[in-house]
Amino acid sequence: MDNSGKEKEASALMAEAEKKLKSSQSFFGALFGGSSKMEEACDLYARAANMYKMAKNWCAAGNAFSQAARLHLQLQSKHDAATNFIDAGNAFKKADPQEAINCLNRAIEIYTDMGRFTIAAKHHISIAEIFETELVDIDKAIAHYEQAADYYKGEESTSSANKCLLKVATYVAQLEQYQKAIEIYEQVGTNAMDSTLLKYSAKDYFFKAALCHFCVDMLNAKLALQKYEEMFPAFSDSRECKLVKKLLDAYEEQNVDVYTDAVKEYDTVSRLDQWLTTMLLRIKKTIQEDESDLR
Amino acid sequence: MQHIGCQPPLNSKNKKKKETDYFADNQLIEQHFTKPGSKGVWIVKMAYPRTHNPFADEEEEEEQHRSSGGFDDPQERGMSEAERKQRFLQQEVMRTAKSAVVSSQRSLGLIYESEKIGTETAEEVIRQGEALKRTERMVDNMGKDLETSQKHINSIKSVWGGLVNYFKAKPETTKPPPEEPVAYQASSKLQNAMSHSKEHEDKYQASHPNLRKLDTEGFGASASVDDSSSNQNGYPANRQLRAAHQTLDNNLDEMSLGLGRLKNLGLGLQSEIENQDTSLDNLLGKVDKMDLKINKTNQQIKNLK
Repeated sequence: MDNSGKEKEASALMAEAEKKLKSSQSFFGALFGGSSKMEEACDLYARAANMYKMAKNWCAAGNAFSQAARLHLQLQSKHDAATNFIDAGNAFKKADPQEAINCLNRAIEIYTDMGRFTIAAKHHISIAEIFETELVDIDKAIAHYEQAADYYKGEESTSSANKCLLKVATYVAQLEQYQKAIEIYEQVGTNAMDSTLLKYSAKDYFFKAALCHFCVDMLNAKLALQKYEEMFPAFSDSRECKLVKKLLDAYEEQNVDVYTDAVKEYDTVSRLDQWLTTMLLRIKKTIQEDESDLR
Repeated sequence: MQHIGCQPPLNSKNKKKKETDYFADNQLIEQHFTKPGSKGVWIVKMAYPRTHNPFADEEEEEEQHRSSGGFDDPQERGMSEAERKQRFLQQEVMRTAKSAVVSSQRSLGLIYESEKIGTETAEEVIRQGEALKRTERMVDNMGKDLETSQKHINSIKSVWGGLVNYFKAKPETTKPPPEEPVAYQASSKLQNAMSHSKEHEDKYQASHPNLRKLDTEGFGASASVDDSSSNQNGYPANRQLRAAHQTLDNNLDEMSLGLGRLKNLGLGLQSEIENQDTSLDNLLGKVDKMDLKINKTNQQIKNLK
């Protein structure tokens, strides 16, 4: 793999493309079919970008793709422009996340203009993932996930929408906006109840909703639990429901040991993940605070 | 306990060797007699290694207890030996019961884990199904668009073609409705299967001999321990054993429920994936046709140039 050779080739192609562009913009170029020159320039930019990718020079590749995309916009071929912006975004992901987000945003604008909401939603998810991992900005990630969910709902893909909504709910609950999380979990849970395949995951959603209720207020949790049991009888048999009931009893008695024992017992059979542990710890803290208040 | 019954009263050390011989002979005789007969008894005898004559130990113990009196000795001797064995067996039972409980906990955990993985797979599969339906809709739309473009090309190619176009019927531009009902058909079939399997599950549990046996076994063992040992040491072991068996029963019940759920989940996944398989095949055919049409159209446009 002669990477340096590829780079030289790529830069040569870029130079050629720029020359073509300049020539097409001059008077004679415009007379003698400037658009074909621009298309050729676009192709050259794309080829150069691919070569930069092979040489792993992501920034240059991203730049080349963005150039190609802008040319396509001038040529009024929106589709090609959007695809090139996406390529640019993917190339920038590895090097400069901020630039990647810019490119992806522009691509999304073009797609929503054309009415291709599904693809736009998919790219909103990609942006949200970048905000999750590289530029850790949870609020913006939540915003993008919500936008993606709305688009998916508009296109009648409820399960894709639910996937985005669940991510929103996990983050929102961690940021202590419990009301929103509760709404989302209840909505997804009731949706899941009706489908034969999804109902096995419905109990999970009701469990999480009940925990969010618990973080707010214990009475809410009790009422909510009864409501869920009525709606979905299979929920009462599940171990999650039994755990919540035990936790409610421990809370009423203000007994931290019973609480920890119940949680440990549940943990021996199914491991508790990060989110659940955080929420349970928060509830435990409220018990301990109440205890100290009483003293 | 026939040995104890037929042993002569022991009064002096001198008879020690004789007694061992006597007992050894006794053992041999009993073995001869019981060999063709009940195998169970023979196996019990074989449990005592030849070299270890249990009555040799008893004699030593008996010498120690000599001061306590002659009449009680035989009984106590028997009890101590039996007691020791009983205690050993009790511990064995407790150990096996505990390990059974622990392993049942582990398997319960595994069942729940697989259920979780199954539900996540189910969600993914359903999402894929929706994507497939969307793709099919789009391919149909593409087909219609290609037809309109074909008409335009015809009109461009020649005047005659344009006239033919005028007389041909206009293509309908109706969008096919979102195909949600397909998912529900599969689900009704599954619901029937589910309700059937639930009924069968109850009958199965009631009729399965192993499940009933375990109950009696648990309590039977404790009962026999009660009978044979009249001292206080028997009771705590009983309770622990009973508790262990109860947890084991509970865990097994939960496991059977979990397995039932897993089975239904698997069946549901299977039918959904089968549906998706057929729609994938349809899609493949449509896309191939579309490819040919697009190539043809491209050729025509190039020729027009």
